[in-house]
Amino acid sequence: MIQINNLSKSFRTELIETQALKNIQLHVTEGEFVALTGPSGSGKSTLLNVLGTLESFDGGDYLLDGQSVKGLSDKALSALRNEKIGFIFQGFNLIKDYSLFDNIELPLRYRGFAAAERKRRVEHALEQVGLAARRDYHPSQLSGGQQQRVAIARAIAGQPRILLADEPTGNLDSLMARQVMELLEQINRDGCTILMVTHDPDQARRAGRQVQIVDGQLSDAAMYDPLQHASPVAVA
Amino acid sequence: MEQFLYYLKVSLKSIRRAPLPYSLTILILSLGLGVFFANATFYYRLNLDPLPHKSDKLFFPFMNLVPYDCQNCEPPNVLSYSNVQKLGATDIPSAKAAMYSADGYLRLTPQQPPMPVKIRLTQPDFFRMFEVPFLHGSVWPDASARAEVILSRQTAEKLFGDTNVVGRSLTLDDFEYTVSAVLADWAMLPRLFDANNNNHLSEVEDIYLPLETGYDRNYLSNSQSSSFQDADYRKLATDGRTKAIHQLQFWVQLDTVEQQQAYRQFMANLTADEKKAGRHPSAINNKLVGMRDIVVHFNKDGGDIKAFALVTLLFLLVCLFNASHLSLNRYLSNQYEISLRRALGASRWHIQQQALADVLLMASITSVAALLIGYSGISLMNELLPANRLFSSWDWTLLLSLLAVTLGCSYLVTLYPSLRASFGALNQQLKE
Ligand SMILES: Nc1ncnc2c1ncn2[C@@H]1O[C@H](COP(=O)(O)OP(=O)(O)OP(=O)(O)O)[C@@H](O)[C@H]1O
Ligand SMILES: [Mg+2]
Repeated sequence: MIQINNLSKSFRTELIETQALKNIQLHVTEGEFVALTGPSGSGKSTLLNVLGTLESFDGGDYLLDGQSVKGLSDKALSALRNEKIGFIFQGFNLIKDYSLFDNIELPLRYRGFAAAERKRRVEHALEQVGLAARRDYHPSQLSGGQQQRVAIARAIAGQPRILLADEPTGNLDSLMARQVMELLEQINRDGCTILMVTHDPDQARRAGRQVQIVDGQLSDAAMYDPLQHASPVAVA
Repeated sequence: MEQFLYYLKVSLKSIRRAPLPYSLTILILSLGLGVFFANATFYYRLNLDPLPHKSDKLFFPFMNLVPYDCQNCEPPNVLSYSNVQKLGATDIPSAKAAMYSADGYLRLTPQQPPMPVKIRLTQPDFFRMFEVPFLHGSVWPDASARAEVILSRQTAEKLFGDTNVVGRSLTLDDFEYTVSAVLADWAMLPRLFDANNNNHLSEVEDIYLPLETGYDRNYLSNSQSSSFQDADYRKLATDGRTKAIHQLQFWVQLDTVEQQQAYRQFMANLTADEKKAGRHPSAINNKLVGMRDIVVHFNKDGGDIKAFALVTLLFLLVCLFNASHLSLNRYLSNQYEISLRRALGASRWHIQQQALADVLLMASITSVAALLIGYSGISLMNELLPANRLFSSWDWTLLLSLLAVTLGCSYLVTLYPSLRASFGALNQQLKE
């Protein structure tokens, strides 16, 4: 599903050039739950952003479902972000003066769904994250864990095949973190491929596979060839 | 449609987040556009062609046929009676009419209090040339003197309380006249046949009298008249017809280029003959001025209105610049939301559609405010320059053009900021 070959990315400012990703080699098959770990500043968010096509890359190749992302038009890339990928950001990134319903509906708006279909999907997503009763609340009326669940609902409402989560539990206490984790596991069991950045070794262990980034490079232990594993579930 | 309503809702939300900068943008834009509207209205009205299908066929002949040698001067703006007779002694024009205006007092019977009226003294072709519509009766059969008047509709209503008054009699300056016709509503604006002294900005006259009768009864022009040498302007019936008393406007209709060339040649021959006969001491300086050029001919500079238009345009540009700046700030402070939408799958085209809804919203509010400001500006100018009052009305063409200008300006103000916001980095803003 995801194939990354020799991918590299650097950030240039007037003063310095930071090589954020170096020769990344990563294959993820459909249905996997991959935990991305590594020290702060090692390039985890950058990799996730590249995977989510929020950020371009310099060298190498990124194939999604066998199709190279490079050279896709803005329209094609937007559609890809909109339909195939659900993104959970490091912050919640909810719009404060929009209701939960409006927040979750936002990506569906750009997909051309009819009103009834949007409503059905939003309500289903809200149910999945256990917030069906609060569709008209505003984000500020929720706890951090609830807000993160709204962000997850927004990411899954479009039924994406890939969920990219950047420290989804980073801002939460351990109880809430566990709830969110369970939610993600449920979503994964329903067939969604998940890549999750985390600092928490326990969470990382619960994922099907751990990949570690150090200094912009995948550490050797993380190299992974899906052909050697019949099923990603077997790893779990 | 539903999606468009959504875009409108998004726009309204973002306005509600920062209503002050938005109001300021609208205010500045409306101010620039309002002032522009007011000025554009006058400019449009003053430059409107009152006879678009015909104005290129109507001409005013000028020549320097005066009894003294004026050094390098322009021909006088008005002609003498004998000038007109000479210029009219040809069959080349399809129509020709001399005319001037005067003041008088009108009443039904000599016992009634008189009402002041503006009189146009002219010849039958006047009504044909300028396509004056008749309600009742018809024009005089020829240009000779007769005690018959033609009334404007308002004058008939004022005097008789009725428009169907053909054959009734009235008293104009102590002489009795019969009404031979009543005009339908007619407002030629600008009245280009009467452009000396900017008279073309005033309203049409109340009553029409045969020109010969005007000379017989000694009506002197109320706008421009000059007499040379021993001519006595108090004796129009005699001196007015034979000597150099200049007060007439003269229009000829020349439908084809051939007619125009022939008439030019006719004028050249005429002045050459006059010179030979010793009656044309000045250098020959003939001009055949078309109706579309007559205002410029009379007001050589005409710079005021152009300078004013330029200042207004500059003001609009300054307002546009400021409004763009405010709009850019608004979009940059919205960058977070725009990037988030892009990250969640909105394409640049979606963002442009969003901007389009923004533009429409801004244009609607701005056009209302700008029309209000423009209307106030026009009212103010009408107070200061009452002569321009007739040229301050809006018609659909003008209104639609003004709305289009508003839409264009709103688009200009939004285009760059929205493009810039839609090309912003997708993830940068999303970090905490
Ligand atoms: N927009 C940017 N411009 C310049 N440098 C950047 C930019 N984004 C990231 N970097 C640099 O790239 C490197 C990787 O950053 P990244 O955000 O991917 O780290 P991370 O692993 O997610 O860290 P954390 O665990 O703290 O979130 C860092 O050195 C960072 O300074
Ligand atoms: Mg990070």
